[in-house]
Amino acid sequence: MNTTLTTVPATTTPAGPAHAPRQLRWLLRLHRPALLAGAALVLLTGAGLLWLGGPLADASAAAWKRYNACAFDERCSYDQDAVIRYKDVYNYTTYAVLAVPFLIAAWAGGSLTGREMESGTARLAWTQGVSPARWLASRLAFPTLAALAATGLLTLLHRLAWTGSEDRIDTALVWDHYPTFYANGTVPVALALAGLAIGVLAGLVLRRAVAALAVATAALGALWAAVHTALPHLWPAVTRVTGLREGPRGEGIWAGQGVLTADGDRLDAPCLTSMLPGCETTLSDMGAVSFYRDIHPAAHYWPLQLVASGIILAVAALLVLAAFRLLRHRTP
Amino acid sequence: MTVPAIEADALGKRFGRRAAWALRDCSFRLPAGRVCAVVGPNGAGKSTLLALAAGLLAPTEGTVTVLGTDPATARPRVGFVDQGKPLYPQLGVAETLRMGADLNPGRWDADTADRVVAGGDLDPRARIRSLSGGQRTRVALALALGKRPELLLLDEPMADLDPLARHELMGVLMGQAAEHGTTIVMSSHVVAELEDSCDHLLLIGGGRVRLAGEIDDLLAAHTRVSAPAETDLAPHAVVEARTTGRRLSALLRPSGPLPGDWRTGTPSLEELVLSYLRNPGALAPAPAPDTTETAA
Repeated sequence: MNTTLTTVPATTTPAGPAHAPRQLRWLLRLHRPALLAGAALVLLTGAGLLWLGGPLADASAAAWKRYNACAFDERCSYDQDAVIRYKDVYNYTTYAVLAVPFLIAAWAGGSLTGREMESGTARLAWTQGVSPARWLASRLAFPTLAALAATGLLTLLHRLAWTGSEDRIDTALVWDHYPTFYANGTVPVALALAGLAIGVLAGLVLRRAVAALAVATAALGALWAAVHTALPHLWPAVTRVTGLREGPRGEGIWAGQGVLTADGDRLDAPCLTSMLPGCETTLSDMGAVSFYRDIHPAAHYWPLQLVASGIILAVAALLVLAAFRLLRHRTP
Repeated sequence: MTVPAIEADALGKRFGRRAAWALRDCSFRLPAGRVCAVVGPNGAGKSTLLALAAGLLAPTEGTVTVLGTDPATARPRVGFVDQGKPLYPQLGVAETLRMGADLNPGRWDADTADRVVAGGDLDPRARIRSLSGGQRTRVALALALGKRPELLLLDEPMADLDPLARHELMGVLMGQAAEHGTTIVMSSHVVAELEDSCDHLLLIGGGRVRLAGEIDDLLAAHTRVSAPAETDLAPHAVVEARTTGRRLSALLRPSGPLPGDWRTGTPSLEELVLSYLRNPGALAPAPAPDTTETAA
C-alpha cells in the first residue's frame, strides 16, 4: 500500500512573490462590495470637495463681496443661499473626510478578519496553501495602500478647497477650528492606517465580526481622543505675555493660560482682566504682574500634524506587530 | 520503514491558562496509507486533535509530527475539512474551486474537484450561501481533495449528508485512498458510519487516547463472553462486565485460553467502542501502540 505513495505529486511549496498577486485577486473578489462602496464614497466626497473649492467658493465669495459692499443699505441684495450652501457643503465634506478612518476600522474589524475568524474561512484559507502569516500580510498590505490613497486624496482635496476660501469668504473656518485642523492635514491618513490595524487585531482577538466592528470603531475613537487631548503639548508652544488690564490674548491652539508673578511663577488665573470688580485686588494679592497664554500659532500647524501622525503611526505599527505575534502564538 | 502520516507524542492542548484540557497526553502513531476513524463522544477532543494535525492550532504541550515534518511545513500537503464546512458565502461554486486552484499552484487536481461537485448536481454558478448543508460539504470536500493531499483530515465529514450522498462520497474518498495512497483521518461520533470504510481506529474520550490501532487487531484482541454469574474473570483484563439474571456478560482481553464452558464471540466495533466509552476506568491494551508500529 505504501508504494503507491510515490504517485503523490512531489512537494511544491507555493512560490512567495508569484503567490501574492493570486491572493490579492481573491482578496479583491471577496471584498468587492466593500471596495466598490468605499470607492464610491471617496469619489463622491472628492467631487464634493472639488465643487466646494470651485463653484461654491466662488459663489459664496461673490455674495460676501456684495454684502460687504452694500454696508448697511437696506435695499441691498446678495445671494444668501450661496453663503449657506458653501457652509453646509463644507461641514458635510469635512465630516465625511474625518469619518473615513472609522469606516476603515469598522470594515477591518467586522469584515476583513472578524468575519473570517467567526465563520472559520480563515482556517479554510490556511489549509488552502496560504500560511497564516501570509494570510494576515495580504489582509494588511492592499488595504493599507487603499486607505493611504483614499485618505491622502481626500485630505489633499480638503486642503485645496479650504485654502481657496481664505480671505474671501468671511465665514470660512479658521485653521485651528478642530475639524478643519484635522481634515486639512496628515492625521486622517495616520488614523486610517491605525484603524486598519486596530480592526485587524480586534477581529483576530475577538473572533466575532460584530464585536470586532464595535470595538475597533470605539478604540479608534479613543486613540483619536487621546491624541487630541495631548495635541497642544506635542510641540513647544509660544508664550504671549499681556498686561493685567488687557487679559490673556493670542489666537491659535491653546496650550494653557494664567498669570505670571514677579518671580516668574505661573499660577492659575482667578479672573481674566483687572477691569472686573474685585479682580484687581485678587490679582495683586497673588502678586500677579501679567497674564500669559501658551499658544500654537498657524506656523505650528505642520509640526503638530506630523508629531500627532507619527504617534498614531507608531501605535498602528505596534498593533500590527501584536497581530502577527498573536497569530504566531496560536498557530504553529 | 516508511514515514508515519501522524505521530503524536504527549500532545496536549488547552484554550486559555485556566481552561480544562481539550486534549492531553495524547500519544499515537498512524502509519501512512491508512483510513483512520477518530471516534469519541461530543467534546472528546477530536476536533482539537485534527486542528493540531492540520497546523491550525499550536499545541500547549507535546509534539505532533505530520508526514515526517512539523504541521506548519506539512500544510501544503494536508487537506482539511472543518466541522462547520466554512466556505466564502459570497463566492459561487465554480469560483470557489477556481480559488482552490489559484491558492494551491502546482498541486491542484481540477478533475477530481469537478467530479466531486458534479456528483451533487450543483449549479456551478450557484452562490455558496444558497447551498444546503450537504451541498456545502460536497464543495468543501472537493476543495480538500482538489489539492491532492497526502493526508486528508476530515472533521465530521458525513454529518450533513443524506445516505445516498454519504455512500457516494465515501466511495470517492476510498477511491482516492486506493489510487493515490492518501491517508485519510475522519472523525465521527457515529461509529457505524465508519466501520466499513476504516482500517484503523483512534478512540478519544475525555481528552485522552483510549484505544489506538488496526481495527482487525483490536477486534481480535477482545472477546465478548457470556458465563454463569459469579464467575471470576481473572486473570483476563475486563473492559466491561454486566450481570443480568444468572448470566454474566463481559467484554475482555483474554490473557490466555478461555474456559470451555464460556460462550464467546467477537465483538463488533461499535460494541468495543461503547464498552470503552462506558468504562472510563478500563485501561487501554498496553501493547496496542506496538502492534500499530509492527503493522506499519
